[in-house]
Amino acid sequence: MTALKAATSQQTTPLRQLALHSTSTCASEASVYGKCIVATYTDVKKDICKEEFAKFGECLRKAMKRKW
Amino acid sequence: MFLARVARSSARGEAQTRAFAAISSSTPSQIGSAVGPYQVFDRHAKRLQKDAAAARDGGARSATVDYVRDEVADRMMERFLDIKRKFNSVLDLGSGPGHFSKLLELDKTAKSIMVDSSEMTLNRDPDSEFEVKIERIHADEENLLQIVKPNSQEAIVSCLSLHWVNDLPGILVQIKEALQPDGLFLAAMFGGDTLFELRTSLQLAEVEREGGVSPHISPMTDTRDVSNLLGRAGFTLLTVDIDEVKVAYPSMWELLEDLSDMGEGNAVIGRRSIIHRDTLAAASAIYKGISPIFIAKQISYILLEMHGNEDGSIPATFQIIYMIGWKPAPTQPKPLDRGTGAVNLKEVL
Repeated sequence: MTALKAATSQQTTPLRQLALHSTSTCASEASVYGKCIVATYTDVKKDICKEEFAKFGECLRKAMKRKW
Repeated sequence: MFLARVARSSARGEAQTRAFAAISSSTPSQIGSAVGPYQVFDRHAKRLQKDAAAARDGGARSATVDYVRDEVADRMMERFLDIKRKFNSVLDLGSGPGHFSKLLELDKTAKSIMVDSSEMTLNRDPDSEFEVKIERIHADEENLLQIVKPNSQEAIVSCLSLHWVNDLPGILVQIKEALQPDGLFLAAMFGGDTLFELRTSLQLAEVEREGGVSPHISPMTDTRDVSNLLGRAGFTLLTVDIDEVKVAYPSMWELLEDLSDMGEGNAVIGRRSIIHRDTLAAASAIYKGISPIFIAKQISYILLEMHGNEDGSIPATFQIIYMIGWKPAPTQPKPLDRGTGAVNLKEVL
């Protein structure tokens, strides 16, 4: 009973939600962003993959039903 | 000239205030400060993290993530068994719940003294899991000589705890002092390549999202430095070798969670207390995206095409440095003096 309770409460922590959404719900956006970084990983600068991340971030915010 | 003289005299001043550490060449800014060894790690935060990790779900969470330490303890035991000697007592420095001490057998060792700074971790597992007699001492490993007397120990072992010690040269000197002549020191510690995938992913994510980097993964000892450190501490008959434990995780998040359950969270002084969730999410995406490159660097491309990241898992590397050293004793074998060789190598080769 307590184990079940712990399991459900673990599922709902914001960090776990972020983990879930960034790897499954928004997996395709994450993959596009990851590929963008990998293409330039020897010379990464700030906002070099800004557009790709904007889509990924938008998907995360929608999935999390939060704004930040 | 003048500067050199100032540096020399202040170095001498420092040597007097620092009992167990010599000045490390890699931290020249410390010369003259006379404040003691350079502090890299927040030992208090580390103790709290370890206590919290061992207390989570009554120790169950901590026990599920024993896999790295148990594996390394096992490999350390192989090296221990190669030493043909019986010990009345072994001191396990930074023992945790006793990963190494649990493997000790009565025909080789009678007793193990476990020392750890985290009380919860130290007492996590019951005495019944140990074959040998054990004694638990809750104390800070950094002050070994305040726990045991000089020249008192037959053997000191340490399984994956030295990477949180601020003053590594100092602790090695203390270990040597605590050993009896011809005493054994055997240890495993994390080396510099440990978690390089996570380090890279977090750095790339921070640079791309925020425009800078901050410390998330501890600085770790380079393999090449270990034999120098052991030699400087006064150990003889050194053996140092490296090994890797590779673990595959579904994603970065499981790795982070397991590290936290191991009590191996970030404890670098000056760390940021939070990571922005955008940066974390970016790091997760980068880790997954860059994993094929990490794998390809280590195995051939053909192998990558065959088995490479097909299941979408990510690799995490734990580099382990094993070290064996002995406290000098007159009875030990020694190298011959220079020039005493009787056979000319030219004739042999």
